[in-house]
Amino acid sequence: MRDRLEGLLTSAREEVRRAADAAQVETLRVRYLGRKGELAQVLGGMGKLSPEDRRSVGEVANRVKAELEALLAGAVRAVEEAALQAELAGPPLDVTLPGRQQPSGHRHLVSRTLEDVIRSFQRLGFDVFTGPEVELDALNFEALNIPADHPARDMQDTFYVDAPWSKAPADQVLLRTHTSPGQIRAMRSRPPPLRIVVPGKAYRVDSDATHTPMFHQIEGLLVDRGITFADLKGTLTAFVTSFFGADRKTRFRPSYFQFTEPSAEMDVSCGTCAGKGCRVCKFTGWLEILGCGMVHPNVLTAGGYDASQLTGFAWGMGVERIAMLRHGLDDIRSLFENDIRFLEQF
Amino acid sequence: MKVSRNWLLDLLATLPPADALARQLTFAGLEVEAVEFPGARLAGVVVARIIAADPHPDASKLSVTQVDSGAGQLQIVCGAKNFQVGDLVPLATVDAVLPDGTKIARATLRGVDSEGMLCSARELGLADDAAGLLLLPANLTPGTPLAEALGLDDAVLEMNVTPNRGDALSHLGVAREVSVLTGQALRQKAPEVPETSEDVHAAARVRVEDAVGCRRFAARVVEGITIGPSPEWLVRRLQACGVRSINNVVDITNYVMLELGQPLHAFDLDRLSGAQIVVRRARAGERLTTLDGKDRALFAEDLVVCDAERPKALAGTFGGAESEVSQGTRRVLLEGANWDPVTVRRMARRHQLHTEASHRFERGVDVAAGPAGVDRAAALMAELAGGAVRRGRIDVYPAPAAATVVRLETGQVSRLLGAAVAESEVARILSALGFVAEMQQSGATLWRVPSWRVDVSLPEDLVEEVARIRGYDTVPATLPALTESLKPEPLAVEVERRVRNALAGAGFDEVVNYSFVDPVLLPQVTERPLEELGTPVEAVTLKNPLSPQQSVMRTSLFASLLPNLAHNVRQGQESVRLYELGRVYLRDPEGGVGLRPVAREPVRVGGLLWGRRLPRGWTGGEAVNDFYDAKGAVEAVLRALGAPTPSARLIRRAPYHPRASASLVSGETVLGTVGELHPAVARALELPKGVQLFELDLEALVRVADVVPRLRALNRFPAVLRDLAVVVPETERAEDIRAVIQEVGGPLVEEVLVFDVYVGKPLPPGRKNLAFALRYRAPDRTLKDDEVQAAHAHIVEEVNRRLGAELRT
Repeated sequence: MRDRLEGLLTSAREEVRRAADAAQVETLRVRYLGRKGELAQVLGGMGKLSPEDRRSVGEVANRVKAELEALLAGAVRAVEEAALQAELAGPPLDVTLPGRQQPSGHRHLVSRTLEDVIRSFQRLGFDVFTGPEVELDALNFEALNIPADHPARDMQDTFYVDAPWSKAPADQVLLRTHTSPGQIRAMRSRPPPLRIVVPGKAYRVDSDATHTPMFHQIEGLLVDRGITFADLKGTLTAFVTSFFGADRKTRFRPSYFQFTEPSAEMDVSCGTCAGKGCRVCKFTGWLEILGCGMVHPNVLTAGGYDASQLTGFAWGMGVERIAMLRHGLDDIRSLFENDIRFLEQF
Repeated sequence: MKVSRNWLLDLLATLPPADALARQLTFAGLEVEAVEFPGARLAGVVVARIIAADPHPDASKLSVTQVDSGAGQLQIVCGAKNFQVGDLVPLATVDAVLPDGTKIARATLRGVDSEGMLCSARELGLADDAAGLLLLPANLTPGTPLAEALGLDDAVLEMNVTPNRGDALSHLGVAREVSVLTGQALRQKAPEVPETSEDVHAAARVRVEDAVGCRRFAARVVEGITIGPSPEWLVRRLQACGVRSINNVVDITNYVMLELGQPLHAFDLDRLSGAQIVVRRARAGERLTTLDGKDRALFAEDLVVCDAERPKALAGTFGGAESEVSQGTRRVLLEGANWDPVTVRRMARRHQLHTEASHRFERGVDVAAGPAGVDRAAALMAELAGGAVRRGRIDVYPAPAAATVVRLETGQVSRLLGAAVAESEVARILSALGFVAEMQQSGATLWRVPSWRVDVSLPEDLVEEVARIRGYDTVPATLPALTESLKPEPLAVEVERRVRNALAGAGFDEVVNYSFVDPVLLPQVTERPLEELGTPVEAVTLKNPLSPQQSVMRTSLFASLLPNLAHNVRQGQESVRLYELGRVYLRDPEGGVGLRPVAREPVRVGGLLWGRRLPRGWTGGEAVNDFYDAKGAVEAVLRALGAPTPSARLIRRAPYHPRASASLVSGETVLGTVGELHPAVARALELPKGVQLFELDLEALVRVADVVPRLRALNRFPAVLRDLAVVVPETERAEDIRAVIQEVGGPLVEEVLVFDVYVGKPLPPGRKNLAFALRYRAPDRTLKDDEVQAAHAHIVEEVNRRLGAELRT
């Protein structure tokens, strides 16, 4: 019986050595160590032995069983290791193939720029207010201190709307030429103090590389007691820091708008050349960014506010121009062609 | 407007260099857009005297000249013949670059050395004359730079004068500003007019019948004039300002306008019937041939300058041909009038004219400048055209204007600017600008506005005057206190943001389009009952569009998105997903009253899908976008908003395919529509088939959005999964079956998912197989097998019974 046990071990060693894969090793394990396996069969004859033989044979049987188990476990590790090595040694992926396509869309430059500008002003406590684009002359011009027959109207060539359905007087309906009528609507619908931005579309009869008949503006208005020109400078400079970066400087030049007095243009130092002068800033070191000024008392009055108690400032900027400067576009019309090859760049 | 620096030096003793001057003016509110140096292109060209000339030994057409260049004698080979020894001519010295880019170098021409080039007027870019050398006046000194010799050593400031500053549309006006900015007095002297003894009033009469249109009419009469060319200096100054020389009399009127800002008109007095001027509105049927040769019918509101019989000029706008100064003119009536800005503006617009005169009158001309203008012009005509000026001046001024007076409170400048400005500085600046302190009141000063500053009428205007002269950079930068103005962000802003992000995540590129579209699109794309497809649509229409293709405001975002598709398909795109978030424009019969807008302008979210679902690629597959891609995009949007999945109902509405389109409803709220473009519309618009669209109303999305959802506790008990497949008629709707399952299953059924739809063999025609995956879970315990078994069996039975479905398992 001892010989049979030892023989079992010998043949197992031989067969395990020849086993090529995990399945064969498993077959051997079942054959030798399974419930009805060879070891079990040999040990099944133990009952016939004398107690002395049974003890000594038992010792041998235990040793053989342990060795068989170790042998098979080693074989399992070996075939697993072999399989791993085979797997690692196989042909590699073609890592140069493009990645699996995920759907990914793109924001339009204008809407994203507008959102960025809005966010900067929201950080300064401004609230978003919107008004209609089909507007009344009275709100687009008259209330903003631009009477009929004033040369300032030349600056804003207007699209007029045929509005037979409207209760508004004929020849009084137009596409707003700026977002500024939003100032009047805001004042007429909200009590002071007021701190708003008015983003949106505006329209002028104009079309070339730097003008499109529709464009986007964002307008701001702050009215309260004791608001000063210094507040205007501080607020718009804070916007520049927030939107363009802390390294950009501002400067203010006198200008003229009917709805503000005093009026100013704000320039921002050129980000391309850090103010040294380059093609982008036409070698001036500065970029004209927005028009602004202290709200004209006539405009406060038109908004129903008490111009003797309140002052304020307002500003307006062209969104396309900002987007073009930021991204290096030189033809504004490309923004509205909506060619996917263009859209996907941003 | 162009301003000559040399001309300003007539009016000011000293001036900063041109660039510094430009900067100072710009930062005081008179923007200088550019500075030109007309002499710059003549660098290296000097005056030279020809001291000897011999024929070239080897070339019959060339001469060998010796010239005095001022810096020594040079030998120059020259091809021209129009000179004599002793003449002064332009010499381009070695290294000079001519306006055409030619660089002058030492050369040897047929064996003879030449150290420069003698130039014609054309070679120097001064005139078209290429016939020979430009012969220069004899009084010049050799070696003088040619630019200086010709008065071209000037700087011309190209100014962009804002519409309020009509006073700055002249050299005098700009000089006034510079005098304040540089702290020097203006050198302005009243012209000395040499007069004859004969009274002007005996030669001409002026009657103003319309005192609204004509505020003032000043006139002088100059006789014995000889029409001829203007002197060189005058021509150069006009040229510097971009004005072409005509003859001495016309040039003088232009010169005085550019100098003083007062437009003048010179009438040939002998062609004024009755030797009189009548200012009135035009009469019915009257016509006028203007200086451009155009015969114009006059409008009743036109203000005209007439003689005894008929109109001779459009007041302040354009002269008439009949009374034009011509070669034979001997006697001139000089008009220096002040016309009403609105009258001139309307008239100029009616006649589509924009002249130097109308430009100035529209902006307001100094009412005091008319008499000064005719005096200055008369003096120049005496000097330059041999004229004899009649004694006196006609000056019709029916209602002399009272000076504007503005009350400025003490401290008002500092208060509005937020900068400490001493009252003495306020007074100094305003006085320098010509304002006069009329009266000190308690706590205020009354300032009289100078007649040329027609733009100033309010204390804020005076604040601006002080601020711009001091410089805006002297005002500090402060931040205003954030008072109770802060409001929460409107929900719509957050909803827009989420919609954009969701669609970007679903592979949509955002587009932004013009709001006005081609009117032929609207009958095709506007959403309405299918029977109305192709019929006219009432839209908001422009009166003066840039083109017929941009003449109506869109009623649907599809009017923008479909042309975008066409463009991109033309560009070879095979996979298109676009969206736009923007307004459409709808007539509002109640609009235009009070603050109610004239049109309704709802914000919509429109989407378009076409072509490959994924871009071409090795992992992309060949599948194309279909209805369910569009619906899926909408569902993604609603998920991003925290809104429940909407229910869909088949619709029969334009511009959709009646078999593949739906309205989307969430509770009571109609969100919008989704579907395939109607094949007939695709054909009419020459678009490919299979275009998928959706359009949602932003306000509706705001209503269903839940941007701050509350937590729903996680169920920790295990779930049991069971599938259910039914064969039903093809018309049966998945949603109805799902509803039955959900209803019968009750709260134990946590989720019902359609995981397969099959049509085809071995199913009989007209039937489809729908497979659902059900997830059972109880909120409070682990479900037992037989419990799920029973529930599932019950659902199977009920679905079978209610829908006549055949069970397949």
